[in-house]
Amino acid sequence: MLSRVADSLYWMARYLERAEHSARVLAVKLEAMLEQTPDDAAEAWVRVVAALAWPLKEPVAGTPDILARRLTLDKTEPSSVLNSIRVARDNARQVRELISTEMWEQLNRQYLAIHSAEVEQEWSAQPVPFLREVVSELNLFAGLTDSTMRHGEGWHFIQLGRYTERAQAVSRLLDLHFGDLPADVKQPLRAPRYFDWLSLLKQCTAFEAYCKVYTADVVPAKVAEFLIFDPEFPHSIRFATDHIQEELSYVAPGAGGARRLQAERLAGRLKATLDYGQVEELLAGDIDGFLRGIQASCKQIHQSMYDAFIGYSVDELLTV
Amino acid sequence: MELGKSAVRLTVVSNRARPGQDAPFATYELDRAYDEMFQSDGGPRPHAKDLYDTLCTLPIAELERRQQTCEQSFLHQGITFTVYGHEEATEKIIPTDLLPRIVPGAEWDRLERGLKQRIVALNHFLKDVYNDGKILNDGIVPRDLVFGSKHYLRQMRGVAVPLDAYVNVCGTDIIRREDGSFVVLEDNLRVPSGVSYMLANREVAKRAFGDLYRAYGVRPIEHYGQELLATLKALAAGFRDEPRICLLTPGIFNSAYYEHAFLARQMGVELVEGRDLLVHDNVVYMRTTAGVKRVDVIYRRIDDDFIDPLAFRHDSALGVPGLMNAYRAGNVVIANALGTGVADDKAVYSYVPAIIRYYLSEEPLLDVVETYRCREPQQLSHTLENLDKFVVKAVGESGGYGMLVGPHASLAEREAFRAKLKSDPDNYIAQPTIQLSTAPCFVHGGVEARHVDLRPYILHATDTRLVPGALTRVALKRGSLVVNSSQGGGSKDTWVLPT
Repeated sequence: MLSRVADSLYWMARYLERAEHSARVLAVKLEAMLEQTPDDAAEAWVRVVAALAWPLKEPVAGTPDILARRLTLDKTEPSSVLNSIRVARDNARQVRELISTEMWEQLNRQYLAIHSAEVEQEWSAQPVPFLREVVSELNLFAGLTDSTMRHGEGWHFIQLGRYTERAQAVSRLLDLHFGDLPADVKQPLRAPRYFDWLSLLKQCTAFEAYCKVYTADVVPAKVAEFLIFDPEFPHSIRFATDHIQEELSYVAPGAGGARRLQAERLAGRLKATLDYGQVEELLAGDIDGFLRGIQASCKQIHQSMYDAFIGYSVDELLTV
Repeated sequence: MELGKSAVRLTVVSNRARPGQDAPFATYELDRAYDEMFQSDGGPRPHAKDLYDTLCTLPIAELERRQQTCEQSFLHQGITFTVYGHEEATEKIIPTDLLPRIVPGAEWDRLERGLKQRIVALNHFLKDVYNDGKILNDGIVPRDLVFGSKHYLRQMRGVAVPLDAYVNVCGTDIIRREDGSFVVLEDNLRVPSGVSYMLANREVAKRAFGDLYRAYGVRPIEHYGQELLATLKALAAGFRDEPRICLLTPGIFNSAYYEHAFLARQMGVELVEGRDLLVHDNVVYMRTTAGVKRVDVIYRRIDDDFIDPLAFRHDSALGVPGLMNAYRAGNVVIANALGTGVADDKAVYSYVPAIIRYYLSEEPLLDVVETYRCREPQQLSHTLENLDKFVVKAVGESGGYGMLVGPHASLAEREAFRAKLKSDPDNYIAQPTIQLSTAPCFVHGGVEARHVDLRPYILHATDTRLVPGALTRVALKRGSLVVNSSQGGGSKDTWVLPT
């Protein structure tokens, strides 16, 4: 597979994951606001902006409505949902011959829809259903990716992009949320705090899955355990890092051991951290540092994957 | 199906032929031009009758609905070009017309033989002018015409080209004269485009008129991708067993990018940009995730000038440094070969009948348009006298650029062109204005006549083949004769019938 093509597929997937994550977080937050006091809501929105508009170019201020619109539809906001979809579609166009027609048409349709003239009106009428629709269209794309594209190297690069982005996005979200843990993390929460943590679960599309494992008692320690360490839930950090490690072993099948060593070592180490970590230990120690460490590891893995398969120096290979 | 059986049933409404009184054709007007659907007495041609009947029975609203479906489909597929406005870029679809243009099988077969003859002769010509130059020594084609052409590449002299096949993909522009005969307007021997629109138009036309399509028994064209792949593979035969083929595109900003991606997908070959390729020891490689891999055949959609910044334009960021040397060393096949533009120069065009006679000892099966070469003083003065009747074209240009359509130009435009002609006569040729044939098109909620041409795509390696179909380009403005997409033209499907 061409390095440039792998690069485009990888970034297409990352931007789509980013768009989905942002749209879901925003939808949940807008809904949650209905049950919060204005002060609580304002505080919660500071976290939303920090989690999504990242890296921050300048301090962002405004009412929740303004902020949500900005993070969804603003063309000048690099991390808006609209821009993520645009960049994903630009990448898809670069590799039009590699993805299936079904995938392309779905993404192109969504791109055209979010860039159409009617979009502002739809947004101001009903922002939450609008965002839900965005998420569901993106889910459709993911489904088409799984069912219409060959699960070859290109598909694995897409998975790698998706899970790398997910691991980073979820750990950033948790990092911001866990800065303010209650004194006893093992006690079920009561309102109003309860709603805040409920909303965190929903932002990771995790509430129902969480209830099946731990019942509807929202206990901070268990929420942390679930979102960080659950091996079977697709939006837990462990699930994402397991996939990063696995997908890395499938991409670039022709590249020899020496070239892939560094990326695989880093991914294996990260996987081990999550596979053998314990939530009690984390809560007693430095959970912020842990979550930031995950983000840093993801960046390193990304870099070494790039050095090995995409931006490598040709001279070395040819003079061998 | 009663093709050919139906006599003219419509009566002529007035002296001025006015085909049909039925709703969609109410504003359809015939003039001097040959019409693809109607005879001069206003009745539908036998092969067009079923289409005519279908159009008369369908409500306009239904036609409109189908036209919209067809445009939606183009939009969603991304068959678009980008228009840059002041704030942001918007994407527009390439205009497509719903109604198929129908070509009877017998007419097509004659055309096909003529096209094959032509491309074979032009390949002989290219081999000759880049090697022995016999045709020049024999005085059939003037030497300075060839060597003076801006598309003649000295770097190609003596280069061995696989199978002596210089032109592997050719998109010849054909028009119909007023008497209905086909005539060649232009050979596009460099990097002809538009074949994806031929295929995309077919998809939408089949959806819009499925029953009619089946009833007509239209000849299929969907195997174009396979045929192209077979042609490219044949070029590498005896050189590499399982050749690695790629399609070289300038990238997503090129207006034909949709086509490049489409063809790569249809053939199952890599779509590469210049930055994906590199040359080492005169061998071409592409950068893959598993390291570099050798490339054997490049179907390039980049012009000669831009293909190798070391050999040609130094400012080209699209090409591959060192590619020309790898090519000269015989380590890679490039299709079309470089330097083929010398044979589709508009001045050489007028010699093609002589070229066919010279190499094949056959009479040309296809006519060319009568052409005045302004490099010859007598023909120049004839041109200057008839500037209001002629079409004047710059010899090395294409895409409708650098040309004057005399009858449609203002006095000032003609005078400006007269000055250009006088100062550089070698650079121009002139042709009488030909009324391209007209075909019914769905415009403004009705069916109206618009001028069209025909671009079939011919493939050539060990043998010469073409799929039975073509891109019919449409001049969307009423009365306009310019069909180029760069000048606001559209296109429609072409149905070649079994007989």
